[in-house]
Amino acid sequence: MASSRKITLRSSDGESFEVEEAVAVESQTIKHMIEDDCADNAIPLPNVTSKILAKVIEYCKKHVDASKAEDRVNDEDLKAWDAAFIKVDQVDQATLFDLILAANYLNIKSLLDLTCQTVADMIKGNLFPVRNEWLNFTFSIANRELVLVCLTEWVAHRRLFCS
Amino acid sequence: MSKVLCFAGGDDFYSGGSIYPSPKEASLFLSLGNHVDVYFPPRKRSRISAPFVFSEDLFEQKRQDTIEALPDECLFEIFRRLPGGQERSACACVSKRWLMLLSNICPNELSCDKSQNNLAPTNVGEEVISEDDGFLSRSLEGKKATDIRLAAIAVGTADRGGLGKLSIRGSKLSRVTNLGLGAIAHGCPSLRSLSLWHLPFVGDEGLLEVANGCHQLEKLDLCQCPKITDKFLVAVAKNCPNLIDISIESCSGIGNEGLVALGQFCQNLKSISIKNCPSVGDQGIVGLISRAGGALTKVKLQALNVTDVSIAVIGHYAAAVTDLSLTSLHNVTERGFWVMGNGHGLQRLRSLIVAACRGATDLGLESLGKGCPNLKQLYISSSAFLSDGGLVSLIKSARSLESLQLEECHRITLSGLFGLVIDCGDKLKSLALTNCWGFKEFDFSAPQLSSCKSLHSLSVRNCPGFVDACLVALGKICPHLQQVELSGLAGITDDGLLQLLECCEAGLVKVNLSGCINLTDQVVSAMAKLHSRTLEALILDGCTKIGDLGLLAIAENCQLLSDLDVSKCAISDSGLTALASSSQLNLQVLSVSGCSLVSDNCLPALKKVGHTLLGLNLQHCTAISSRSVDLLLEELWRCDILA
Repeated sequence: MASSRKITLRSSDGESFEVEEAVAVESQTIKHMIEDDCADNAIPLPNVTSKILAKVIEYCKKHVDASKAEDRVNDEDLKAWDAAFIKVDQVDQATLFDLILAANYLNIKSLLDLTCQTVADMIKGNLFPVRNEWLNFTFSIANRELVLVCLTEWVAHRRLFCS
Repeated sequence: MSKVLCFAGGDDFYSGGSIYPSPKEASLFLSLGNHVDVYFPPRKRSRISAPFVFSEDLFEQKRQDTIEALPDECLFEIFRRLPGGQERSACACVSKRWLMLLSNICPNELSCDKSQNNLAPTNVGEEVISEDDGFLSRSLEGKKATDIRLAAIAVGTADRGGLGKLSIRGSKLSRVTNLGLGAIAHGCPSLRSLSLWHLPFVGDEGLLEVANGCHQLEKLDLCQCPKITDKFLVAVAKNCPNLIDISIESCSGIGNEGLVALGQFCQNLKSISIKNCPSVGDQGIVGLISRAGGALTKVKLQALNVTDVSIAVIGHYAAAVTDLSLTSLHNVTERGFWVMGNGHGLQRLRSLIVAACRGATDLGLESLGKGCPNLKQLYISSSAFLSDGGLVSLIKSARSLESLQLEECHRITLSGLFGLVIDCGDKLKSLALTNCWGFKEFDFSAPQLSSCKSLHSLSVRNCPGFVDACLVALGKICPHLQQVELSGLAGITDDGLLQLLECCEAGLVKVNLSGCINLTDQVVSAMAKLHSRTLEALILDGCTKIGDLGLLAIAENCQLLSDLDVSKCAISDSGLTALASSSQLNLQVLSVSGCSLVSDNCLPALKKVGHTLLGLNLQHCTAISSRSVDLLLEELWRCDILA
């Protein structure tokens, strides 16, 4: 394609990022804003910090490049890149959540899929240290009843299948 | 678990060590209390520009960094990618917010990769259920009926076989709302039977989701749910093709439209029961029966504003009906019954109940008798018009009738009763009269040559005016009686009963004489001797003049007796001892409740008798101590003891 338009995105802390339109419209939210002609100057994104915005742009760029490369990038290679991209953040839960929030706000389905699936797998694999946290501060009298109720299901299940 | 501890790169995380080894040690959830100490060290990696404000309260900051800070839609996206039911159940235990989010996930929104699950090793002692057959069943009552519980059931039963049957019995304080039912709708697509009673806050919103989500619904039972309207019934009719059984009671929001929809779409409907719905009228019943009547086998209508039209339609269209019950239909007249009978559509009808219908006149009932050639059981209650003549013509027209029960038919007199018994042909096996007050003087001098050989069971309850002479006359006409029930009849004395006992050639099997206060030991002894080889059950509840002599006679003679009830009789320890000393008696059920003369001294006798007993009733035996009862409970472990 011919040189596409450049779109400026401004993060919540004032930093500006210039990206190609093809990359920017990976986000449905930004896409609608462009279509509605709100993109004359920079598009403000008050809910996304520059750190996160940088990562989101990195992700979108990679995916746009992957889909329009002459020799189509192998799907597996892309998946491996995704895994590496997100693995960096496994260590820092906060960034992972920020990415989820950003993907949700910016409406980037593939990024949302990736991040949410990661968290889901971490819950499954007990890699989620947050568990202990929420178990403690949300564990109140009300939840005791709740846990009992969920326990009843569990106990019934165990009785049924564990002799 | 060590992975949990080193996520931040350092091991100095929790001072308390691992709080729980695995989420499956559910018992440890409960052992956690507010005393558990959680220590959060400051993060080693500094944050660049945190969107969240650093606050004094480290705990608060941690909370904001965690998963709790995500909005509902993001949590929802995470939850719906959780790969298994165990994980979902564990997350459901965290907080009400998480539980409600999880319960809102529809099965088709779950995007876990099933093939991956099968490769993962299953834990020891657990089975992976691949199909949701819906063989689990849950029942919530009263205080326990809450939305939270329903959400927990929805999440918990999802991959453990699926919920098949759900029954909720609410109360005035019931806290079940549309939210809870929505959770069930999302989580239990295998639901087959739903029963909702007394839920004032549940309305169409939640139930429409059930109709849309639970396509396997077969049985629906609604009682006193005023907010449910026709919209729900229409949705169920359209979405649940397997619907077999519908029962609606006291739902003021349900009217004709819903029933018409049921008739239109539910061709498999077998049983309907509609009671006390003021908005239901002819249009609904006609619409239902004329379209779906072909497969219906059970129809029950009670306290509805229907007229002759509906009854006529039943008579013409409900060709497969076997059980029909019409109660308190005040706008149905004799004409309706006549048309129903003459429709000749009720060829398969076997059992008919007509209660408190003013259309149950002589003419109406006779046409029914004619129109239902296979009618075997007939129960007529509260008919102010049924007369002796009508009864006789009824019995002549209903040639297949095996069992007739009349209750509160006060126009029937003894003449009608005897006419009935004489003219009943050879099919009538069982006759029961309850609360019929029309029996007065009768001239028994008429020669009675005919006999009713088929009558096996006679039951007369609380019919004042039924005296010895009646009993004797009946006994002479019906020599093959095997079951006799005479309860609450003060007019029966030893003489009458004695003559009856002598007439019964076939040998009595079950005798119930409750409340016949004028009977004495003499007649019991006679009975024991005459029917020693056949008597299996003897109920003498409330026969206050019967005492130990009767028991002695029973003990000496009765070989097959297994059920003996001598509650409130004048028996004492010696009678029980006699009973115990019998070598041939193997009682299974014994009741001596209310016998104040039975004391602790009969304990050995009770123990001996108790070896074969399955049920023993010692309630209100004031002279038996609780210690004796405890001893009995210990020794007679097979026996169900009421004390």
